[in-house]
Amino acid sequence: MLTSGFNKYAIRYLTIKRVSSARLTLGKTKKGNDMNDIQTKKTNNSIAKKSKRNTKSLAIWTSAWLVSLAIVAFGPVLLWDYHQAISLCTIGLNVIMGYKMIMANKQHLEDLDELQQRIHLVAMAMSLGVSIVFGAVYGLLESIRLVEFQPDPSGVLFVMGISYAVSMILAHRKYS
Amino acid sequence: MKNRFKVLRAERDWTQADLAAELDVSRQTIIAIEKGKYDPSLSLAFKAAKLFEMPIEAIFQAPESI
Repeated sequence: MLTSGFNKYAIRYLTIKRVSSARLTLGKTKKGNDMNDIQTKKTNNSIAKKSKRNTKSLAIWTSAWLVSLAIVAFGPVLLWDYHQAISLCTIGLNVIMGYKMIMANKQHLEDLDELQQRIHLVAMAMSLGVSIVFGAVYGLLESIRLVEFQPDPSGVLFVMGISYAVSMILAHRKYS
Repeated sequence: MKNRFKVLRAERDWTQADLAAELDVSRQTIIAIEKGKYDPSLSLAFKAAKLFEMPIEAIFQAPESI
């Protein structure tokens, strides 16, 4: 009698356990789908995260390079009265910062997706072409006596930056 | 090249952001592909085929001139 009662409870327990196990499996499957969604969001974050991290790194190293360039430009005049050793050290620092900035930019480009890489490639090609054309003519302006002043090479940098930005905007518009 | 990205995405009730995340590309890339303004690379096409569980030719149709 006692054994039969025990068996009854045991069977009921096992049935409940099976049902809950099945429910748990279903739950797990649903959870699995949820996990997929989470994974999706994670992946989404991964490209966004990479972009954010690379942009931050690029901003930091570009700022560092600019500051070091300003030190090279104004330090000898304002701080150390053209002391050559100090100037050489700051130039060395500037080159290191420049290298880090270039590497950060390279990493930023490598982590972009294929369309973004193409957009940057087009912008770089346009920027390079415009800079070469502009730089070549700009360099001749004084020698052919169209202008009185000595052309400043940094002017080419402005043209490069502006043409790059304009090309980026145009390429983004083309693909959106 | 024509593609069925938009239809297949809609059938699965995915947003552009969901699909972009699955293919590990930006949303802009998905928009450009859906509008036919950009043809994806072979590796991205294979990735999409795997994701949609379809052969590549069922997703992308070559232009008639080819």
